Amino acid sequence: MNTTQLKSFNSSGIEAFCKFLQSQRENAEGPTRDELLEDGSLIEETGFGIDIENRTFRTRRDAANYFHDRFRSISAEQLRRDAGLWSWLSLYYFDQVCPVADGCRRIRNDYTYVYMPNQSIYYYRHLLFIAWYVRFVTPKHNRLFLDTSLHRLDKFTTEVMKRLYLTRIPCVFEVLDRLYWDTSEDGPRKGVITPNRMVAGDLMHRFPTRIRQLEKTYDLLSLTADQLIELLGKEFSRFDRLSTATPMVV
Amino acid sequence: MIQRVNSLGRRRIPRSCATLVVHDGTPRTFDAEIDLSSLNFPEVASVVIEARSAGSSVVPRFECGKVGDLVMPRQQPLTALEGQNLFFALKVIDRSERVGRLLGIAENIRPESTGDQTLAGRKGILPVERRPLGQQLWRLEYGEHDVFLLVNQDVAGLSESIGSDPLMYAVVYPEVVRQILTQAIQRGGDPDADDDTWSTLWLSFGLRLHPDHINPPSMDELDAVNEWIEMVVDAFCNQHSLRDRFVQGDLLSRES
Repeated sequence: MNTTQLKSFNSSGIEAFCKFLQSQRENAEGPTRDELLEDGSLIEETGFGIDIENRTFRTRRDAANYFHDRFRSISAEQLRRDAGLWSWLSLYYFDQVCPVADGCRRIRNDYTYVYMPNQSIYYYRHLLFIAWYVRFVTPKHNRLFLDTSLHRLDKFTTEVMKRLYLTRIPCVFEVLDRLYWDTSEDGPRKGVITPNRMVAGDLMHRFPTRIRQLEKTYDLLSLTADQLIELLGKEFSRFDRLSTATPMVV
Repeated sequence: MIQRVNSLGRRRIPRSCATLVVHDGTPRTFDAEIDLSSLNFPEVASVVIEARSAGSSVVPRFECGKVGDLVMPRQQPLTALEGQNLFFALKVIDRSERVGRLLGIAENIRPESTGDQTLAGRKGILPVERRPLGQQLWRLEYGEHDVFLLVNQDVAGLSESIGSDPLMYAVVYPEVVRQILTQAIQRGGDPDADDDTWSTLWLSFGLRLHPDHINPPSMDELDAVNEWIEMVVDAFCNQHSLRDRFVQGDLLSRES
């Protein structure tokens, strides 16, 4: 398998990458992927001494595990801030984050490939960063977000990761797994993400609303999953696949 | 005015109960002095401080012991918080009876004293932050407690001039007011609410500016909402004589 040393785009590199994306959308002439990846004026050495492989990720989980392993020596804070690194990786793995289908590529918005760490509305939409980040924040209860394809951002990931007030609750990922993973189908529960229709106990509308109500009264950050599910009430606890959960001590 | 009763007893803690000092560094650190002696919270209740900044995806949390045995934070690292505007929350939590119940909260506490990396003191209702915005000059960012005016960090002097240059101010701020009031009403904000979240502060601001000083309609009445907002924007422009300032500013810039 080919390997190369991990690199990072500088600000000119990020700008060039954006232009590359635009030229791809327009089928216009421009520098190739390889030219950008190796142009010394656009990249900088990371100094981490890490090699990465030109490999195929079958799922987002594959990518998450790979980056988690390869970037073990880099601090999480550094990875969270590094726009150049994640953007360079997007181009390196471009065939996987933007695959050719029926002879053409569908180039999504720039933030899908160009990492924007300081933009709270975009940071979670970077396909490679969010794979690593989910694995980082929830090493165990992550199948709702990682057992999916790499080149598309699914609704479960979007609706959860865009809400800081959800993701900072330590037990929330276990709660989400217990409520919204359908073990009979071995996949996410259906009908809980419907944009134009509110359904009792759904993830898209009711879960965030209920958490907003509860956070006014309870310190959600210190609760266990059992306690939070009980607080959520029957509307949600009826979905709990561990229905023998221990009641909250009063 | 609608009176709201907190039936579960959570109390507002005066911000003066916590004094925070932020020190420059990588990362920045903070110290805090907490005084809850006048509030009669149970001595066994836990005390925590949380820190936030605009655009950050993390909210660091610091345990401060119990009400009866406080541990004042010293040189605590504010890792992953990079914005100039830092906000703290102080929470008192009952862990003995109903687990994790909030007994009291003080939100949006600003540091009393800071270094060069942080803004101190009382904030306005629209803090400005510099951000990489590509080809956009500005946009709004809505956080949990605050709304921020983000300005393009790659345009020299923009963050300074956007609030002071008459041309910029006249062109940008009416639309800022319009967008924020629209969002506040869409999100169900209430100018009479007993909090200082951005939606409450902005709707109160709109209520004071509105020529009839009436509350905004609900989102069910879309036409009435739009009319209310436009009347506030118009009052805002009149109050600041924006057209006149724009014309004078334009004349000055032509002469120079």
